[in-house]
Formats: sequence, structure tokens, C-alpha cells
Amino acid sequence: MQGRLSAWLVKHGLVHRSLGFDYQGIETLQIKPEDWHSVAVILYIYGYNYLRSQCAYDVAPGGLLASVYHLTRIEYGVDQPEEVCIKVFAPRSNPKIPSVFWVWKSANFQERESYDMLGILYDNHPRLKRILMPESWIGWPLRKDYIAPNFYEIQDAY
Amino acid sequence: MATTSINMASAKFSMLGWIGGKRELKKKRVISISAQQQAEVEESQSQQVKENENQAQVKQQQTPLRPVEPQTNVRSKNMSREYGGQWLSCATRHVRIYAAYIDPETWEFDQTQMDKLTLILDPTKEFVWTDESCNKVFAYFQELVDHYEGALLTEYTLRLIGSDLEHYIRKLLYDGEIKYNMDARVLNFSMGKPRIMFNNNELPTQDVAQ
Repeated sequence: MQGRLSAWLVKHGLVHRSLGFDYQGIETLQIKPEDWHSVAVILYIYGYNYLRSQCAYDVAPGGLLASVYHLTRIEYGVDQPEEVCIKVFAPRSNPKIPSVFWVWKSANFQERESYDMLGILYDNHPRLKRILMPESWIGWPLRKDYIAPNFYEIQDAY
Repeated sequence: MATTSINMASAKFSMLGWIGGKRELKKKRVISISAQQQAEVEESQSQQVKENENQAQVKQQQTPLRPVEPQTNVRSKNMSREYGGQWLSCATRHVRIYAAYIDPETWEFDQTQMDKLTLILDPTKEFVWTDESCNKVFAYFQELVDHYEGALLTEYTLRLIGSDLEHYIRKLLYDGEIKYNMDARVLNFSMGKPRIMFNNNELPTQDVAQ
């Protein structure tokens, strides 16, 4: 089962893996972290000019960390714009993924949040620092192996 | 009950660090302690960390306090915008910890002395404190500060210390060593509802122990 974009990428010799389609029928692709920057540029040139959302999650305890990008091709006079979902998996020991800030500027805060919550290091991000947690916070709160510190005001906030 | 045992040889400072007479007037419980192990505050240029064996010998049930001597002519320093306009603190309801020397009478906030931590205990007066229970909290505070020696002086570390202190205060409350102050301005029993007939003063002590 190969989607349209997957076929296009194969035609241009770009390494990827097809992960099927989600419940809305949107094609899902996996890209290696080392390829991701060049593929992102190519996808932008292809026409995906809108990063609809970027998020990240922890796949499994001790497993990979995933960074997910939902791309849309915005054009005039189009009812059903082309969409694609890209997943980039990074190992937990060295979670480095190239930033797409220089391709889609809206990735700025989203990637900062992913860094804050899961500790994914986005290369070439202009200002990669914590955005939700205090800057002196230790640990990555949304990782599955995170143990929340026994802070008083978290459980007894009066 | 073990009271605070201060070995004057190891801790060269008197217990005047938390205020004796003025405390009753102000109803504030403040202590400033030095964060370094046996740091000599007066000779801060020659702060050499002595070996800990000296302290381990004299260490009894409670960590001896090393309160900072009360200073005179304290002025608020490093509080303006060019210093960031902020301070390192951990502020929960019963525990306020600041990485600065705070004058207990004038509340001048000297942020140049970041080697000291100041604890303001229960500023909203939710509990009834005695000197003994105050000293227990202060001793636990000193113990925690010694425990976290070497950690980064960040808000996270102060939160760890402050949270442990809050848990300790809750333990004191559950053990019946402190009580809710029924004249407090806000009476919402933030550490749990008071339990009737628990460690009540009318009961004989044998019943409480059993």
C-alpha cells in the first residue's frame, strides 16, 4: 500500500518508509533523522508550505522518541488540500533531530515544547530552551520513564 | 524529646540568627543559615571547607544549626532591573526560602549574599509554633541544605528543599507537635482536616503513646 507522496519520493530516490494511512486516510511516512532536513526542504519545494502541527511522543519505555509533523499543501481554490504526516524517530540515548524551523518558521515554539517535554534535541534550532517548565527543571516530564519529584505544591495546591 | 543541641565548638555562631525577642512582636519566624558546610561568614575571603569528621562526631540526633549572625545596616542590594529584577526562591504556603540574607526586622533583601539561605517559616501563621518545633524545622532545613551541598543553586533545588520541609511540617502536624492556629486569617486546613481526640492535651500521655 503506497501513497502518492511515497511513490513520488521513490521516483526521486529519497529514503523513507511508509507507515500506512491514518483514520482519515492521510499518508504517514517515516523518515530517518539524518535525512529529515533534506527531505523537509524537498517537501517544501514540492508544495507543502504549511506545517499544521508538530508534536512528539515517547513510543515505549526505553524505546524511541518520535517527532511528528503534519504538513499541508495550501493552494487557492482547493477543497481537499494534500496532507501528509511525517514521523521521525530518534533513539533515546541521543535524540537528535534536525530542526525544520528554517523551512517552516512555525516549528519554533512547537519544537521548543517537544524539547521541553521529551528532551528531543533539535539541531539548528535558533533558541532551544524550555518553554513550559521552569528553566532549572531537571528531567523530561513526558517521557515514560520520568519520575515526578515529590513536590509539595503539585499535590496539595491550596 | 531531643532539643536542639548546639555544639558551640563546631558552630561558632550563637543562636541569635533567628530572632529572640523581636519574634514575638513580628510573629514571623525567620532564619538565615549559611549554605556552606561550616563556612565562616565573617571571614568570607578565607572560606575553606573544613573536613566533615569534626561535624560527624558532634552530630547527634539533629543537625546542629549554623545560623548566620544578625547583621546590621543591611540594605537591599541587587534587586534592580539590571540584575534581572528577580531572585532565587521557593515559595509555598508555609515555607519561603530565599537565596539571600533578609534582615528579620527591616526585611531588607541583600541579594549579594547568595551563600546564605533564608527561611521564613509559615508567614501566614497557619500553625501554632513553639520554639522547639521551630527548631526542629530549622534543624531539618540545615540538614537538607547540607544534603544538597554541591547541587546547583537553582530554583529546582530550592523547590526540592522546600517540598521536603513542607512534608516535614505535615509530619509534625500529624504527630501532633504543631497544631492549626484557629485564629489564622485563612482557615482552610491546607494540610488536612484536624482530627478530633488525637493527641489532645486533655488525654493522659500514656493513651497518646499507645
